[in-house]
Amino acid sequence: MNTDPDHATALSLDGLTVAYDAEPVVWDVRVTVHSGRVTGMVGPNGAGKTTILQAALGLQPALAGRVQFFGRPLAAVRDQVGFVPQRRSVDWDFPTTVLDVVMMGTYGRLGWFRRPGRKQRDEAMEALEFVEMADFAGQQISALSGGQQQRVFLARAFVQRCELLLMDEPFAGVDAKTERTIVRLLRQWASEGKAILAVHHDLATVPEYFDDVLLLNRRLIAAGPVGEVFTRENIERTYGGAVRVEASRG
Amino acid sequence: MGEILSDPTFQKVCVGTALIGATSGALGCFSFLRRQALIGDVISHSALLGVMAAFMLSAVATGVGSKSVAVLLPGALVAGVAAMLLARVITAKTRLKGDAALGVLLALFFGTGIFLLRYVEKAPDIAGHAGLEDYIFGLAAALTTDDLILISCLAAFALGATCLIWPALKLHTFDRTFAHSVGFDARRLEVVLIVLQVLGIVIGIHAVGVVLMVSLMVAPAAAARQWTGSLGSMQLLAATFGAASGAFGSLLSAAYTGAPTGPMIVLVATSIFVVSILFAPGRGVLFRLRARRQARAALTSAGEVGA
Repeated sequence: MNTDPDHATALSLDGLTVAYDAEPVVWDVRVTVHSGRVTGMVGPNGAGKTTILQAALGLQPALAGRVQFFGRPLAAVRDQVGFVPQRRSVDWDFPTTVLDVVMMGTYGRLGWFRRPGRKQRDEAMEALEFVEMADFAGQQISALSGGQQQRVFLARAFVQRCELLLMDEPFAGVDAKTERTIVRLLRQWASEGKAILAVHHDLATVPEYFDDVLLLNRRLIAAGPVGEVFTRENIERTYGGAVRVEASRG
Repeated sequence: MGEILSDPTFQKVCVGTALIGATSGALGCFSFLRRQALIGDVISHSALLGVMAAFMLSAVATGVGSKSVAVLLPGALVAGVAAMLLARVITAKTRLKGDAALGVLLALFFGTGIFLLRYVEKAPDIAGHAGLEDYIFGLAAALTTDDLILISCLAAFALGATCLIWPALKLHTFDRTFAHSVGFDARRLEVVLIVLQVLGIVIGIHAVGVVLMVSLMVAPAAAARQWTGSLGSMQLLAATFGAASGAFGSLLSAAYTGAPTGPMIVLVATSIFVVSILFAPGRGVLFRLRARRQARAALTSAGEVGA
């Protein structure tokens, strides 16, 4: 375990195993995610990447294993854990505005009965400015492009003011401007000592975006600093054959 | 017309159906936005089994079956919730998809309900069954003052609970995984929504009938979505549409004797829906057709597309 105070353990999965049916989709995964680092999770389709995030958040029951956030169970530190689901997992025709969606990032702190007020509104506006979406605050979310949708989700994570951020494919299908915004945000968060774990598809950009990488195919294949573990051999073991990193973009 | 409006029976029917329409309109927005509009159909059809079971239990207990809404509605509530929970278990434990599970359960619960209804009608030793068949197509004129009070209490409870935890319900409806991640337990909220939807349905089954009740959950919500871009105003508008459908539908049915109340209410609700789908600004069919024509005309006149 890493004892460096700057790189304390934000998330630890200890023997996490998840099965939908008889077949396990995640098998005995042992992983630690460190504060101050941007960690990418890569693996082929069906490797269980999303499932790991969902199991860590309690959305999928785990068959076995222990999940700890900052050394404690999720319920004890929930307001320190942020989550950006897959953009396509929600209905963007829902009747609401951009500002309203960003304010949803404060709902967890407000609890079951309190309503967001001026303070939450100001926080949301600030977050929208950070992702360069302030001009869209009053717009219906149905009018947004894919990249704009992703930036709205980023702004919502921003107002959560969390110490660990779990992101499910934040780079999927976004434009160049959004991509730059996400990278800038991740860098800033990491420099503030926050931990980030992002599911990622594009092998070519892994060394550029991430400090640490988890290679996964139902089991954990390799984990560690990108320079050490993101090797041709490990990638081939993950994807089960020869993979040309250059050709995997898109 | 003035005669009808001052008739106390009509007033009761009018207030009752307006209240039913308002409640189911507001609550129907959740299932509409979660793309589970037909869940209301399963709940209302299943409720018939609950009504029959409650009636038969009361017949066994007292010798005469009770048709008091206070006895039958709890049965409908239990059956509606049971059908929904069974649907969840079936989709979780088998390879059946949600729509198939719901279809099977609707057939099972409604079929058993109809069977029990016929059985009770034929059984010589069960008294007091006359009027039970009104639960199928609804009989608003049968609303008593006691019914009205009970309906009001259940509606107030359902709408009050909705207002109390509204941000959580809204967040769960928009993005259940995110809602769960910030502490609004998804499974718990799904059960809460089931109970709210069942309440919204069962208060209307006697007046509107189990067969048509679903349209009061779906039509006002779908119509309201056309006119507004916020969940709060959508729910207020759906409640207004639902209440207007109830009141105006019962007025039409009273004015033209012989027209049953339930179908009239549903026809009014459907008319509001059709007008909204066609004429609403922004989302309406006509508006979109015109916008598309103008956009195409602008393109060709700008010379960007060959004439």
